[in-house]
Amino acid sequence: MSMDVPERAVTVEEAYDDLSRRSLSRISGDLARLIYLASTRDYNTGKYHHDGLAASFRAEIACKALEMAHRQTFYRIAASSLEELVREVEVYVSSSLQSREDVLRVWQKLEPYRVALPVDVNVALAQLFVSNVRLALAILRGRPKPRAMGASAS
Amino acid sequence: MIELSSLIVGVALLLLLMAAATKGWLASRQSEPRLAASEEDATEPCPEEFVNRVFSRCDWEFVRGLRAGCIERLFDQERKKVALVWVRQISGMIRKIMHEHARAARQSKNLEFSTEINIFAQFLMLMGVCGILLAAIQLAGPLWLGGLAYFAQRLSQRVAKSQESFQAGVLANTGEAGSA
Repeated sequence: MSMDVPERAVTVEEAYDDLSRRSLSRISGDLARLIYLASTRDYNTGKYHHDGLAASFRAEIACKALEMAHRQTFYRIAASSLEELVREVEVYVSSSLQSREDVLRVWQKLEPYRVALPVDVNVALAQLFVSNVRLALAILRGRPKPRAMGASAS
Repeated sequence: MIELSSLIVGVALLLLLMAAATKGWLASRQSEPRLAASEEDATEPCPEEFVNRVFSRCDWEFVRGLRAGCIERLFDQERKKVALVWVRQISGMIRKIMHEHARAARQSKNLEFSTEINIFAQFLMLMGVCGILLAAIQLAGPLWLGGLAYFAQRLSQRVAKSQESFQAGVLANTGEAGSA
C-alpha cells in the first residue's frame, strides 16, 4: 500500500504541514476546514484517511496528521467567540451550492455538525461547540435578508 | 419568635436551592444524552479559556445587541446547559481523584495527618462550591459566576496536583521498600 513512499523517517509534523499547505489553505473558513477534516474520518473505525497524503507519507502518518489538524481546528473554533462563529457559519453556508435558507434549516434540524467533534474531546468543550453552533444557526435564520432590509429602508 | 421565623426562611431557601440544583441537574442530563454519557469520565479539566468563554459576558453583550428576545432566551438556556455540564465534570473529576487518593493512602505507610486534613478540606470545599454553582447557575445563569467558577477550576487543579505528588511519593516509598 505504501510502496511509493520513500524510505525515510517522515514525521507527523511534515505530513501536517503538507496537509495545511496543499489542502487546508484552499478551504475558506475554520468551520469548512473542520467539516472537511471530519469527513476524512471513517465512521466505524474513527481512523482518518486521505489518499494523497497517504501516498506521499504513510497511511498511519497521514491518519495522525489529519487527526492533529482536526483537533487543532476544533479547539480554535470552540474557543472563538459567538460573534466569530456566526461569521464562520455564514461563510460556510454562503459558500454552499444549496440555498442559504435550506442549509440553515437542515443544519438546525439534523445537527450534522455533531459529527465534526473529534474523538475523546472534553465533553464540556464539545457541549460548548454544539451549543454555539445551535445559537449561530438561530441567529442567522433570524437575521433579515439584505434585500428585505433594503426594501424596508426604501 | 424571630429566630424561629429566620430558621424557617433559611430552611425554605435551602430547600429551594436544592430543588433548583436537582432540577438543573436532571434537565441537563436529559437534554444531551450523547454528550452526558461520558462527561464524568473526563480526567482533565477544561482549558482556562473555556471558563472565560462560558462564564463571561462577552457573548451575552453580542446577543443582547441583536435585540431578539428568542435568541436571548436560547442563549440563556444553552449557556446554562454548558455551565452545568462543566460543573458536573469538575465534581466527577474530583470524586475520581479522591477515590484514587483513598486507594493510594491505604497503601501508604507514612501518612501525614496535616496533609490528609488539608486535601480533605480542599475536597469538601470544592464539592461545596460545585453544589453552590449548580444551584446558582440554575437560578441565575452562569454570567454572574465567573469568579466562583475560576476559583473552582483553580482549586480542582490544586487538588489534582496534590494527589499526583502524593501518589508519586507513595510509589517511590513502595519502590524503596520493595528494593530493600
